[in-house]
Amino acid sequence: MIKVTGLRKTFTSHKKEPGLKGSLKALVFRENVVKEALKSLNLEIQQGEIVGLIGANGAGKTTLVKILAGIVHPTSGEATVLGYKPWERSNEYRKQMCLIMGQKNQVWWDLPALDSFLLLKEIYEIEDSRYKKNVEFLAETLMVQDHLKTQVRKLSLGERMKIELMAALLHDPKVIFLDEPTIGLDISAQKAVREFMKTYQREKKPITILTSHYMEDIKELCPRIVIIKQGEFVYDGSLNEVQRMLGDEKVLSVTTDDKVFKVNVPRADLAKKTQEILSTNNVLDLNIQDPSIEDIIESIMRFGVGPS
Amino acid sequence: MKWWPSVVSLEFRKILVFRTEFWVTFLGQALVQLVIARSLWTAIFEEQKVTEMNGFTLPMLTLYYVIVPIGSRILTGENIGFISREIYEGTFTRYLLYPLSWFQYKTLTYVSYSLFYALQLMVFFLGYKFFLSGGISFSEFGNLLLGLGLFLVSSLVYLMMSMAVELLALWADNIWSLMVMLRFFSNFLGGALIPLAFFPERAQVILSYTPFPNLVSLPARTIMGLTSPEEIFRGLVVVAFWAVVLSFVVNFLWKRGQKNYSGVGI
Repeated sequence: MIKVTGLRKTFTSHKKEPGLKGSLKALVFRENVVKEALKSLNLEIQQGEIVGLIGANGAGKTTLVKILAGIVHPTSGEATVLGYKPWERSNEYRKQMCLIMGQKNQVWWDLPALDSFLLLKEIYEIEDSRYKKNVEFLAETLMVQDHLKTQVRKLSLGERMKIELMAALLHDPKVIFLDEPTIGLDISAQKAVREFMKTYQREKKPITILTSHYMEDIKELCPRIVIIKQGEFVYDGSLNEVQRMLGDEKVLSVTTDDKVFKVNVPRADLAKKTQEILSTNNVLDLNIQDPSIEDIIESIMRFGVGPS
Repeated sequence: MKWWPSVVSLEFRKILVFRTEFWVTFLGQALVQLVIARSLWTAIFEEQKVTEMNGFTLPMLTLYYVIVPIGSRILTGENIGFISREIYEGTFTRYLLYPLSWFQYKTLTYVSYSLFYALQLMVFFLGYKFFLSGGISFSEFGNLLLGLGLFLVSSLVYLMMSMAVELLALWADNIWSLMVMLRFFSNFLGGALIPLAFFPERAQVILSYTPFPNLVSLPARTIMGLTSPEEIFRGLVVVAFWAVVLSFVVNFLWKRGQKNYSGVGI
């Protein structure tokens, strides 16, 4: 179980004016800027749950994941994962978790994946039979059997991501932090990773926190989502509930001779609003749709929960 | 600790992965340095019209410059910036996620490189002895093993010095110039650039209380059979003292600095 109570994190960075003059000035005087990345967060996730953590760039998703993975110390507040304080980095905790980052390699770049796996086998103290079974299962499910003896740096981005997934899951972690695992992948690779995660989640039932900007990842994998905005949770609940929240609205997609725009309209006002748009614009095309999950989440990220 | 041999094995595999790089490092660099040193000192001896300088004959100086460049590499182990670069790039995260001590891991990767260069020095020394000196005696071989052992012990002290500087990256992000300075001073004050016998006597006395002469000069002269057991013992005591002091510094910096680590780039 993951339990987060009043978790805060601030980062200090310095501001520099642009240009050479700014660079010279920054050698002597620096203006520090304190940014509150997380503002007193509370969260509970049960064993076997998979939660989608959604937010704009800089909202605090990765900072939260880094704290829960034990990489970063919080400024204040408490968090326990499987009963351990992550930033104390006990070996018992680290043997039960993994962090997979879509943009960073953790396996050794110049060596074939199997060389890295052999080291990980020793580090995580995986018995021979379990190691063999897991390598076979993961390689087969991810379809990378032919790439295990090739230098990692010579693999394609999608193949490398699959190797990263394998490396991270060799020790059967009970907690998985997936930070944008499909970033930069082509559509078929994204689909393969999602299918794999679905199978893995169904079979092994770990706690999984997934951050992604691809709504397909969230829709396919996460029954529960948490939306974070400027370091605060603005929504924590089921994905279906999000759709119901704005179910009373329709989206009017309008193309006129000089612009394209969308308007969210309460169902009751639909006829009146449509008429108004038609009478005040030179409309070339008009569509009435249910709001997409992307629209709803974007709306929550911009305006919070409530009528838009 | 079961993973220790696996780390050393992985590092050796990394060293062997690029064939050209391996042979250039193993043979090319040392041969080039040897030829340059030999030519330079031959010219100096001819110019000065002497057969000995500060106790060194030309063959002795040539041998010194076979030993010292490779010895410096034993000392400096893994590449410069082996911790600070990872902190800067965020790849240091790996050691925080794996259930192991980053200190032990980095020490092992460092020692792996030191062992590789120790093997290189052994090959070159034996090659020099067999091809240029007509063979090697039992005592010379003993001196070689003793000197290599001293180089490996010294490399641990240098590792502590490096870690103490590299961990400053947790505050300052980029400390490349400090690492370059550390390497330069260690080479210069350790006798890698010119033998310490060429230094003023007063400077040699002051330096004897620091770890520097024991980094390069002591192991190199031991291989050449120029040190006494008392000198070796004294050197080991000084090295042990500094290793303990520096380990406290490294531990302090790590405990404080890890709270600043933000895993940039992820």
